[in-house]
Amino acid sequence: MPVIEVGGLTKSYDDETVVDDVSFSVEEGEIFAILGPNGAGKTTTVESIAGLRTPDSGRVAVFGFDPIVDRDEVRSLLGIQLQESRFQDRVTVSEILEAFASLYPDPLDIVILLKRLGLDDKADTQYRRLSGGQQQRVSIAVALVGQPRAVILDELTTGLDPQARREAWGLVEELRDSGVTVLLVTHFMEEAERLADRLALIDRGHLVALDTPQGLIDSVGLEQRIRFTTSDPVEDDWLARLPEVTSVARSNGEIVITGSDKMLFSIVSLLDRHEIVPIRFQVEQTTLDDAFVAITGRRLDSTEDAEVTS
Amino acid sequence: MSALGTLTNTQFKVFLREPIAVFFGLVFPVLVLVVIGTVFPGASEPNAELGGRSLVDIYAPISIILGLATVAMIFLPSVLGGERERGVLRRFSTTPVHPRILVTVHLLVQFVVVAIGMVAAVLVSILVFDLSFPESAAWFVISFVLGSASLLSVGLLIGALVPTASSGQGIGMFLYFPLLFFAGVYIPLEVMPQGVRTVSGFTPSGAAVQALSDSWAGAVPEVSSLVVMAVYAVVAGSLAVRLFRWD
Repeated sequence: MPVIEVGGLTKSYDDETVVDDVSFSVEEGEIFAILGPNGAGKTTTVESIAGLRTPDSGRVAVFGFDPIVDRDEVRSLLGIQLQESRFQDRVTVSEILEAFASLYPDPLDIVILLKRLGLDDKADTQYRRLSGGQQQRVSIAVALVGQPRAVILDELTTGLDPQARREAWGLVEELRDSGVTVLLVTHFMEEAERLADRLALIDRGHLVALDTPQGLIDSVGLEQRIRFTTSDPVEDDWLARLPEVTSVARSNGEIVITGSDKMLFSIVSLLDRHEIVPIRFQVEQTTLDDAFVAITGRRLDSTEDAEVTS
Repeated sequence: MSALGTLTNTQFKVFLREPIAVFFGLVFPVLVLVVIGTVFPGASEPNAELGGRSLVDIYAPISIILGLATVAMIFLPSVLGGERERGVLRRFSTTPVHPRILVTVHLLVQFVVVAIGMVAAVLVSILVFDLSFPESAAWFVISFVLGSASLLSVGLLIGALVPTASSGQGIGMFLYFPLLFFAGVYIPLEVMPQGVRTVSGFTPSGAAVQALSDSWAGAVPEVSSLVVMAVYAVVAGSLAVRLFRWD
């Protein structure tokens, strides 16, 4: 049985359909990402799964339970880290966790939980004195304190600096390795590519792709690009004649070749036959970002991405 | 410990960490009473202009309502608006427990705070200014509980609707100053024109001051004061419950 099943989910606000006939299922023990630009309908989708929104039509099941009808069962099995949720300024980390632990029948030991999240030395620190990354870890801890079998993490790393973001990613992988199913919501490509076992690509309320990250990249059949310079001059023609190569161009003294992902070996052997040494040889991988552009014809809102890759 | 116990304990500690809240909710009302009682000459003597009562007699119940109104109109709406603004209420919606537990906890904590303020004001009145222990003690307690219920319900109604802490505080302020006026904080009710005193009797703060004064002096509070407080408590309280925005 899938952990989360969504079938034909549809939800409108004021005549605007924000989620339109979305279906997918999340299997036990995987990290499943819902990826899409801001305003694509990701949060409405997970809020419907969490039972915070009532869908106009469609079916949602969490461990076989209906989030609206079987409210208590779903809430004790599912931990939820909401987007933009904060706590009171003057409450300490351990007080926050004790408070939320008291709401569950069989909570985790708080000392162990804080240690696992690297917050053990912050237990008595007031919330306002924590860094953004630490506050985010508190939010994750709150989602985990009830010993959920699955967690929803909505925009987990938005607003975090690159180092805190990487730490948060490590944490999600640890979670999966400890057997918790993770539903990750993100508009951040690198995050989905790095973490997701499978992902649902959502754009303007529609599910546009459902695959593994690599499967998605392969499915759009984008060509690979290789750049290099050489120790001795090379005729463009030699390279262009290789069957795997579709184009050869020069840019800033570099040779830029596009072609199928099998061209690497032919290019290297060709250069080898002419005893030419390639310098600064770069293979550009097709990314999820490229796949997204290929599928939707648009780029994701990439302000966040730039901040991290710079 | 139960969820209610754990949350109440935590929220009480959090309240005590807010220096402004502690000062204006607990210290300021007693301070006002002490200042009035010591600065004005003859403040403890019966005064014919004040209907034969002393200034301290009059201000002892007023200082209690000053603390109560501050907590109910300023802190409660701002705390509830803050919980909504930070997404804490939504966060509680994702747990097996309904977020109404958090609202209950805030009401409980604020009530405990005003009760402490009341006891402090009574103690100072007795120990510093030689006032008698409230003579109709049972009616005094009933009046205090009804007064708290009415003002906290109005604060709860504001807190039920405001999106942020600052809007809660803003709207609370808007009601706070008139409520203080009708409680006789600025000018004792005894020297106000009859018309103003009549209006005052229909406000929760004015009715509460009246009922506390009467029972302190050993009389049974006016039925109208008790009814006014009860009506505010029931109407504002049930509106708050019905209209409460959980996200």
